[in-house]
Amino acid sequence: MSEARGRVPLLGLAWRNARRHGRRTLLSASAIAVAVAASIVGLALAGGMLGTLLESFARLETGHVRVRAAGYGEREAFLPVHLNVSSVEGRVAALRLVDGVKAVLPRIRASVLVDGAESNRPALLLGVDIEAERGYLDPAAITGSGTTPRPGEAEALVGVGLARRLGVEVGDTIVLLGQTAYRSLGGIRLVVSGLADSGIPSWDDVVAVLPLDQAQRLLDLSDGATEIVVLLRDPDDAAAEIEPIRGALGPTDALEVRTWLEQGPLIRTLQSARGGYSVVFLLLMGMAGLVIVNTMLMTVMERAQEHGVQSALGMRKGDLLRLIVTEGAVIGLLGAVAGAVVGTVVAVTLGRIGIDASQAARTVAAPFQGVIHPVWSWWHSVLGVVVGVATAALATLYPAWRLRRLRPAEALRS
Amino acid sequence: MRWIGLTAAALIGLPGGAASQLAPAEILRRIDANMTINSAIARARMIITYRSGDVRSLEFRSWSEGTDRSFLEFTAPARDAGSRFLRLEDNMWIFLPTVGKSVRIQGHMLRQGMMGSDFSYGDASERPSMVEDYDAVVSGRDSVGGRPALVLDLTAKRDDLAYPGRKIWVDAERFIPLREERFAKSGKLLKTATLGDVRRVGERWYPFSVELDDALQRETSTRVEFLDLDLGARVPSDVFTLRHLERAR
Repeated sequence: MSEARGRVPLLGLAWRNARRHGRRTLLSASAIAVAVAASIVGLALAGGMLGTLLESFARLETGHVRVRAAGYGEREAFLPVHLNVSSVEGRVAALRLVDGVKAVLPRIRASVLVDGAESNRPALLLGVDIEAERGYLDPAAITGSGTTPRPGEAEALVGVGLARRLGVEVGDTIVLLGQTAYRSLGGIRLVVSGLADSGIPSWDDVVAVLPLDQAQRLLDLSDGATEIVVLLRDPDDAAAEIEPIRGALGPTDALEVRTWLEQGPLIRTLQSARGGYSVVFLLLMGMAGLVIVNTMLMTVMERAQEHGVQSALGMRKGDLLRLIVTEGAVIGLLGAVAGAVVGTVVAVTLGRIGIDASQAARTVAAPFQGVIHPVWSWWHSVLGVVVGVATAALATLYPAWRLRRLRPAEALRS
Repeated sequence: MRWIGLTAAALIGLPGGAASQLAPAEILRRIDANMTINSAIARARMIITYRSGDVRSLEFRSWSEGTDRSFLEFTAPARDAGSRFLRLEDNMWIFLPTVGKSVRIQGHMLRQGMMGSDFSYGDASERPSMVEDYDAVVSGRDSVGGRPALVLDLTAKRDDLAYPGRKIWVDAERFIPLREERFAKSGKLLKTATLGDVRRVGERWYPFSVELDDALQRETSTRVEFLDLDLGARVPSDVFTLRHLERAR
């Protein structure tokens, strides 16, 4: 019997119906288009923000792998200089030979008191290899005025905010006091060679950057550092690189070697947030779906007579349901493709020019430099289209179910 | 406040002898009489014991006059020798040979441990007059190191004192604090001091050792022992100058 009736040309009928009700089709497709475009831009923006934060954290704080003295992690808040990594020069040279390693950066972090012209202030001392840090912590790039401190010279780069509070300018002399590796009191007199203006307020207000050798002199750390930061070509290889890195370090009993994901909850949270923002995407699509349910409900119920005729002529209820769902999918496809085109163009353009969020960055206590470059990926657009079509199709299920419950006679009278 | 202290003492029964008859303020006055130094020259050892078991020993010489002026110079070990501290009233300066100039320390630095010890720079510059700076009530009696002790709860009369609250165990016969707990305004315990090796020096009793524990950091405990102590020694007045701080040998 069913074979005699043949197969209903669902796609052709759906396309015809969509065209017949142009205004409603446009309204529904527009809702999907807006949701898909917003989702693509949102995904790219969230990816850009998280990527910037993760990249900044790795570059400025954690590395992809960080080597510190055993027990340092527990006391990290106190910046204990007596817990340090010895024989740094040899270890850094060995680490640079490890396959997959992009950069090896010895650093000294310490809590110090800086005495300036008008007052003294607590500060975060960063002793770094000025040359090796090019492209990473990059003292040269953040030197706003004056010059970058030179290795071997008693010079310091002082954050602009800190300098303002101390009442010092380029060329002035400052004194740094801090607890040494032997836990006694160390001091050093330095000339302010430049002012650091990184665009990260939480840094510029507290940081004094010194050449590694000057920080070692102040803190009695001959050939020592409080950490060795390792950056990898592929950050996802961090766990796999741990063993080769341990091997290059020599005896590691007195050291803790941790990937960036093992260094506190923040990085892990940011990493897991990468998956979490798909929830936002689904919420946007859900909102678009509600609009479609509404418009499709009206469309379907207004065409109840037409569907009654179709039923009376022998169209099975299953075919009728499939027709309405296909109609929703066709409208969804039109909207999703349009939305994907618009969203892709906007995301790619914003990715090129960036979004200036420097005002917002001033309130963030994280190494975030204020310009967000949305990161668009082709799968954002593909996902947008797929989810857009699926949402539209799903949104028609309720109106279709309502219609399916109407008997042909009732439908014809309505 | 005084009668509350006396009442409490009567209720709980204090050790016999002079102490139980005394008002809390009088006990504080007697403590001040023992602990306040008009002038002194001393040599002392500072022993810092770390949680890891490491021990660090430093030696210093000190000169002091009244409660407002003191000068301290570390003499050992070699890496710390020549580090000097000058206190004039509430101001403190540091001189380090590696820096070559004096630095006045303020604010946050005053709360840091002096040379990595449990004694903060603020502790070093703090010389309260117990009777003038605190109200006291006697809250009990105890025994410390075999000595009978009165327990006094002290509340600061002024807002600018480093420790708004103290609980002290006072030797009931010698009027020397044997143990002390120092509290923040919130009531949080900040430091515990144990004084020992009490010796008779002329007309007074004086502790020749102090052990201090910073309750906010459990990394260390610090003991200071006097190796020589000349109470009443004549101290040249130019010792307490910035010029001397930067040029002392």
